[in-house]
Amino acid sequence: MAAHNLSAVLKAHGNAVKLLRNSKIGMYIYPVVAPEFSNWRNEQVAWRKSAVLFDQTHHMDELIVEGPDAAAFLEYVGVNSFANFDLNRAKHFVPVTPAGYVIGDMIIFREREDKFVLVGRAPTANWVRFQQAIGKWKVRLTHDPRSDSRPDGKAIYRTHYRFQIQGPEANKIFEKINEGPVPDVKFFHVDWIKIGSRRVQALRHGMAGAPGLEVWGPYADKHYIQSTIMQAARDVGVDLALVGSRAYSTNTLESGWIPSPLPAIYTGGGMLQEYRDWLGADSYEAVGSIGGSLATDNIEEYYVNPFELGYGFYIGWKSDFIGKDALTKMKDQKNRKKVTLEWNRDDLLKVVASSFEEGVPYKWIDFPQPNYASTNADILLNSKKPAGISMFNGYSFNERCMLSLAIVNDDVQIGDQLTLIWGEPETTGKTSTEPHRQAEIRVRVSPTPYAREARENYAASWRTKPNA
Amino acid sequence: MSYENLEQALQAAKNPVEMLRNSQIGPYAFPVVPSEFTNWRDEQRSWRETCALFDQSHHMTDLYLEGPDALKLISALGINTFNNFRVDTAKQFVACNHDGYVIGDAILFHLAPNSFVFVGRPPALNWVQYNLETGGYNAKAERDERSFVNKTGRRVYRYQVQGPNARKVMEKVTGKPVPDIKFFNMDVFQIAGCKVRALRHGMVGQPGWEIFGPWADADRVRDAIVEAGREFGIRKVGARTYPTSTLESGWIPSPLPSVYTGELMKPYRQWLKGTSYEATASLGGSFVSKNIESYYLSPYDMGYGGFVRFDHEFIGRAALEKIAKKPKKQKVTLVWNGDDVDKVFSRLFHAGKFSKYIDLPLANYSTLPFDKIVKAGKTIGLSTYTGYSFNERSMLSLACIDVKYAKPGTKVSVVWGEDGGGTKKPTVEHHNQATIRATVQPAPYGETARVAYRPK
Repeated sequence: MAAHNLSAVLKAHGNAVKLLRNSKIGMYIYPVVAPEFSNWRNEQVAWRKSAVLFDQTHHMDELIVEGPDAAAFLEYVGVNSFANFDLNRAKHFVPVTPAGYVIGDMIIFREREDKFVLVGRAPTANWVRFQQAIGKWKVRLTHDPRSDSRPDGKAIYRTHYRFQIQGPEANKIFEKINEGPVPDVKFFHVDWIKIGSRRVQALRHGMAGAPGLEVWGPYADKHYIQSTIMQAARDVGVDLALVGSRAYSTNTLESGWIPSPLPAIYTGGGMLQEYRDWLGADSYEAVGSIGGSLATDNIEEYYVNPFELGYGFYIGWKSDFIGKDALTKMKDQKNRKKVTLEWNRDDLLKVVASSFEEGVPYKWIDFPQPNYASTNADILLNSKKPAGISMFNGYSFNERCMLSLAIVNDDVQIGDQLTLIWGEPETTGKTSTEPHRQAEIRVRVSPTPYAREARENYAASWRTKPNA
Repeated sequence: MSYENLEQALQAAKNPVEMLRNSQIGPYAFPVVPSEFTNWRDEQRSWRETCALFDQSHHMTDLYLEGPDALKLISALGINTFNNFRVDTAKQFVACNHDGYVIGDAILFHLAPNSFVFVGRPPALNWVQYNLETGGYNAKAERDERSFVNKTGRRVYRYQVQGPNARKVMEKVTGKPVPDIKFFNMDVFQIAGCKVRALRHGMVGQPGWEIFGPWADADRVRDAIVEAGREFGIRKVGARTYPTSTLESGWIPSPLPSVYTGELMKPYRQWLKGTSYEATASLGGSFVSKNIESYYLSPYDMGYGGFVRFDHEFIGRAALEKIAKKPKKQKVTLVWNGDDVDKVFSRLFHAGKFSKYIDLPLANYSTLPFDKIVKAGKTIGLSTYTGYSFNERSMLSLACIDVKYAKPGTKVSVVWGEDGGGTKKPTVEHHNQATIRATVQPAPYGETARVAYRPK
């Protein structure tokens, strides 16, 4: 009989790591959006030099939470403080398990006193739905899962379209579409702007210090909104680049957000056992994949806590929430920290070159996005001792550098050279991996968000230091 | 700017070469099919080691031709022989202009008496349709557009099952031994309760089949093949991988349609819409000539000399009779030097000068890729389709090279990238050109393919 929930799937596979490392789901897909509109190099340049339009309509789940208890419910489920959660504001919502490990994250918008919209990967949406199901909160949920990864020509429907306009010249476009200056809203605050004949909600966003807006509205308006924005850009002479699915996921390497922590729900009894019984056999948690050189029998080695991801300052200590006790203890321990890693070019070229030689090559590094699983975990070594985990990769044409986001031991310093093990030690059942051997790649620790200055200051040691 | 027809577009442009080199349309589209089902390395391995499933339902246009004069029209345009062109067989149809240069090619299926379908990129099909409409033939045509420009949906699905295990997969899915029909002959099979037509095909020296049938059956037939193929290691091949299969089998998908010049072709240019493939295609690469005719290729240049039969009257015959005596070029595979390719990749990690990015596995960045092949400072041929083969662990390109340099083992160089920092095509980032050493090898290159992938 086919397994009907995650617990049964886990039981059938014996071990969560074994299940996820052999997942058949393939690489994590950013669906529907064309791979490239112009070419991924120019699309990356555009978010630094002119402006880009990200189509975020398809790759994220959306969950609406409404009702008299909505705020109290979400404040209990996530670690965030809701004290200053005014209307028309957004936050980065992070729930953890009772043991204090991250389940996932979503952007949460407060549309009304009693209505919130959450946008992000599935694990957080699933956890919120579960908490509603087992609790007695007066809340109603509406879940719109992300678009099919491989629609194969079939029509796709979402509740909302969602675009971001980013880049140093984005403001000129906003002023044009709004027929006047856009309201001077603060970062992560929401206001209304005009796009053609529509009034739409806009979230103040931004990357790399440049202004940006995220806009959304009914899916039926998608084409109209997009063409109005494109026309406005032409009218004001801004080279607005549509960004394809190949370049899209690499923008986070420059801004420093880690999209793919493993939901820390595979162990633990009580509420978590109940959750695994509740999660379907086709859920993200049951079918997602783990890829990378970190291969251990202990699934908990893939877990991260909010301090490690840099989310410690979100925590609302004054309220009661799931995982509070655990986080209180974690707060004062030595936590790992988030950094950006700059990969050594000679070692990268060794990997590329193996594709043009006989024999088993190193794991192919796809440009600009080398990730090959829903959750990536590559071993980092410092003088052959474990030093952390590299979690999300991407090449930046702007920096002419392969970068990854990682969490490393607290004694690792900016400028240190570590060794990243690229490729998997064992043959897995993942469909995204070809037969390969592992490579050692020197990486240099840099700040997050990644700063060019750092690299240039440390250039001498980077080029000269021999293999660790 | 849009124009009513190709002739008007050409008159507005300074030069057809400049018009096409700055087209904004991007490379040839392989739409709808996901870019990777698993990963492109393993997808490439499947046609060499186990079994590959190609979904060809979306990237080619179909032209149905029916009527008492259908074969007469086909014969007036095709360089091929049509003696004994029986029902339930197919041909690689090649049409030329009056000067004997290739307009395009398509697979031509003889479906029933007086009933045919052409399947391929649009140029050959457009030419057939034009001649039907203007030549007073007693036949009618119906187009089923490729998905890139199709608003209403396709009429038929089209799959290929290829690789050493293809026969086992077909036997499993049809539940009986597959008949031993000849290359490019057709048969009817039952798959999952659906009647399918199957063209005997093959690459890498193993039998393969192209399967087609009404769109309503598409999912059912595909799912049945995938299910039956599971134990034989079948892999669905994604859009990123699919177009690279031809690098190993040696077919050049992208000749420039030889229609941009000549008074005789002017009415055709006026017939071709301003939105047609011919008017919008993008031309890319290091080979630049002000004279668009420098891009024209004869069937002999492209390895189709064996198809040419002077047993009937057809457009271009007189010119081809002359060219046949002394063909200029020969089709070969170029195997690119790995160290030189590494050098292009190394530019990804240096500030400043960038070499045109080589996207793996398909490196084309235009509809019509044309790079120059050089030796001792002289241009000696055109490299026209470029990509990477994991099976061969090499970058390969298909090329038409001057006959005297066509000997396997000859050392040449390919100039990669466009001059002057690159054209205005959206697929082109600002870059410098790189010179890449290459070795001439036969086409098809795949060792087994070389021996066995031959129409008999």
